[in-house]
Amino acid sequence: MAAFRGRRLLWHGRCWFSQTESAVSSQPPDSLYPPIVASATAKSKAAKRRRLEHFHQRVHAAASIEEKLRLYGQLQRPKYVVYPQTFALNADRWYRSFTKTVFVPGLPPGAVAPEAAKAPEPGAAAPGAGKSPEPSAEAAPNLDMGELRSLACDALLQESFYQNKKRPFLYRDQDHTPGPFLTQLVSTLAAFLCGRNPLLAASSLDLKPEVNYYWHHGEEVVVHGHRKGRVDPVRFQIDDNPHLQIRVPKQLPEIVPLDSDLGDVPVIDHKPSKLPLFKRQYENKVFIGSKVADPCCYGHTQFHLIPDKLKRERFLKINLEDQIEVLYRANGVASLFAWTAAQAMYQGFWNEADVTRPFVSQAVVTDGRYFAFFCYQLNTLALTVETIQNNARKNICWGTDSQPLYDVVEDGNVKGFNDEVLLKLVRFLLNRPKEL
Amino acid sequence: MVAAPGPMALRRVGAAAARSRGIPTTPTRGILTTPTRGILTTPTRGILTRAAPPRPRGPLPRTPWTTRGPPPEELARVVERRPVREQVELDTITYAGRQHYVPGLARPRFPPWDRGWHDPWHSPGPRCEEMPLYKERGCYICHQGVRMLEGVRQAQWLTKTKLVEGLPPPVLGIVANPAHRLEEHEEGVKRAISHARFWDTTEVAPRREHYCPVLFEDLIHLCRLMSVKYPSLTRRMLARNYKIAATWERESILLQVRGLNGILMNSVSPIPPVASKEEILATEGHVLETFYPISPTIDLQEVNVYQELNHTGFRDGYPFSHPHTLFFLESANIRPKRFRPEQLRAKMLMFAFGNALAKAKVLYGNDPKVLEQPVVVQSIGTDGQLFQFMVFQLNTTDLVSSDGIKNLVWIDADQNLYEKAQCIPEVKKRVVTKPAGIYGFQPDTFKKFLALYLHGTV
Repeated sequence: MAAFRGRRLLWHGRCWFSQTESAVSSQPPDSLYPPIVASATAKSKAAKRRRLEHFHQRVHAAASIEEKLRLYGQLQRPKYVVYPQTFALNADRWYRSFTKTVFVPGLPPGAVAPEAAKAPEPGAAAPGAGKSPEPSAEAAPNLDMGELRSLACDALLQESFYQNKKRPFLYRDQDHTPGPFLTQLVSTLAAFLCGRNPLLAASSLDLKPEVNYYWHHGEEVVVHGHRKGRVDPVRFQIDDNPHLQIRVPKQLPEIVPLDSDLGDVPVIDHKPSKLPLFKRQYENKVFIGSKVADPCCYGHTQFHLIPDKLKRERFLKINLEDQIEVLYRANGVASLFAWTAAQAMYQGFWNEADVTRPFVSQAVVTDGRYFAFFCYQLNTLALTVETIQNNARKNICWGTDSQPLYDVVEDGNVKGFNDEVLLKLVRFLLNRPKEL
Repeated sequence: MVAAPGPMALRRVGAAAARSRGIPTTPTRGILTTPTRGILTTPTRGILTRAAPPRPRGPLPRTPWTTRGPPPEELARVVERRPVREQVELDTITYAGRQHYVPGLARPRFPPWDRGWHDPWHSPGPRCEEMPLYKERGCYICHQGVRMLEGVRQAQWLTKTKLVEGLPPPVLGIVANPAHRLEEHEEGVKRAISHARFWDTTEVAPRREHYCPVLFEDLIHLCRLMSVKYPSLTRRMLARNYKIAATWERESILLQVRGLNGILMNSVSPIPPVASKEEILATEGHVLETFYPISPTIDLQEVNVYQELNHTGFRDGYPFSHPHTLFFLESANIRPKRFRPEQLRAKMLMFAFGNALAKAKVLYGNDPKVLEQPVVVQSIGTDGQLFQFMVFQLNTTDLVSSDGIKNLVWIDADQNLYEKAQCIPEVKKRVVTKPAGIYGFQPDTFKKFLALYLHGTV
């Protein structure tokens, strides 16, 4: 194996020599000898550095994004599989440390869609005008809350009351009512709001897409096997399946500047396997939900449905009430990091070529009744040992606690409908770049 | 491009030609049909072949040259039904008493063991005749797995419907109306097709089970975005996994349509009737096509335990109470598991009729009568590439007799959205002969799709 790699490197090394001759300027132009560099095949740290350099050059010089992604994830080794929806205790702290994310409670003030610029529409001004004297957290004058509430209630009532359904399958309660309700709600709201948000008119709605991301963070010593004793980067892979996602052709605007520091990233001294996280070796995938050729290559909003085995009642039964919010936060942080980082890789950035503009996406995590909203800004992809040393940037995640959308559905009526949650959802859907 | 005539079409052509020549038509099943002179060559996969002599299917006709001896009825009467051992009474002495096998003695047959008490986990359940819903008269049920032999003709007879080729004038008017600007969506449709067929998966090419629903969702998303221009389009709701139940009687045959079928789009207001009063009255003179000797209930499931139920699938008080369009997705990967276009059209007709009938019974009661306000239900079926469009109008619930006013259906069959979607470029001898992409895109198909979506609100 080493011999093969050596031979291949030697061949590539010969090609590379001709490139470095032009690049290296320290040699005087009339020198008869090639530049003196460390060996590329010796068992030495300098040789390893040269090989790493060479690999970085290859990825930088890749002809297309698909080629770059292929080279990036070419080498398969055992990696930790990170599940965004997990029952592990305090998983959100661990995930924040893996992804260098700062968590800021509450939604950013800039997440409110720029409604003030739009002229109020005549039909919707009347019911909205009654609300406009309220503080700025309320809807802008031209959003008809009554209409939106009726859309949401119609979707909810159809799925939970009016449609004749059999009993839910065992442990599949989420597929019976909350799943279809979420799909209906988002599709009808997106269609209703696409007049106000032209980005939604050009968007692509995916049902149960796949989102994958692979990255390195930190270092460890290989514990057993034929590679025992070597220092390896810690590899992670997220394979996520949101319930619904909206992808758009234009990027969402940045919330805060690229180098802002809004908090601290938790540092955890234990190995990731203590979380518990387990290692597996398989294909290193980077995928946002569709291939690179798709024009809708930026993310807008993801919708996640909490599965049955992680529902609230189970946590309450085993006296882990505080872990309910941890579950929502971990899901938001991990899923959004994977999505935004994959979007950044689709644009050609990677950990050696860090992002030059922040990537922003949103997510809503729900179990059918409780909704939690998350905003994520990816400021850096450089999480490997070499690149993280001089990197002061941190990724930022804003998130709320979970709040119920309604109390109960009884006899064709929705009791205790919460308008604020619907308003936050509508604001998320109306988010768009400033120029639109 | 004319599709190759399938075996059904060949048989029908053969039977029709035989009928025109005056020869009494033999039943199409299991009987030799010689191909007519019109079909000397049968193109299969682009290669022209001569029609081979048809393989005999089923028992040969009883002619003096094919069989000898008396006809099978007589033979069956003469042949002894009891096994030989019983006739010779060889089994009277068994080794049951000896408690072990003894060569030469017969094998004993013991009575089945009786538990002595009723164990619900191990009881076989009541027999059909003892079930509470058992009825002497059988009922023929059409469910989502029923593939009718005679296709649309059979469905027409069962639902007392007259067929009109092509879409109805109001829908064609929406297609042709330049005010709707249906051309703007061409880019969006091409993107939707590419997304479904190429980009939506980490594999090289997605399978039909994956791309068919994705294409449907993308097209519906494009249609829903039209609610910017027509705000009343927001008063629509999609319902998946809903169950329909409709019962009717047709010339002393009890028929039912039951169960899961497709995705239903409901709307708040009904679709206005598509045909004029004159057309409805003109259907009185139309004669329904029969296909003797095939019974019209062929391929339907006959049951004796049933409930005569009429239910739309939704409770009373549902705001979106009018069924608008039914969508059928044939997304099985393997071709034999998918419905053929003719069978799909028949299924679409049956379920559109079932929905219309259930709605009419809710609105106007169970008495059979001619409806003053006909109920219109649309239906679209697809397998990811080929689209079938259908508009059904229920004019009467008086279906027992075959005379009188009939229902109307307009069918636009086999509309291709695109000819071919090449995932990987085709390379012959290291030269790219066909680059990847969508070939043969036809924008008219999506225009009709959108027109059917907009029908009723525009």
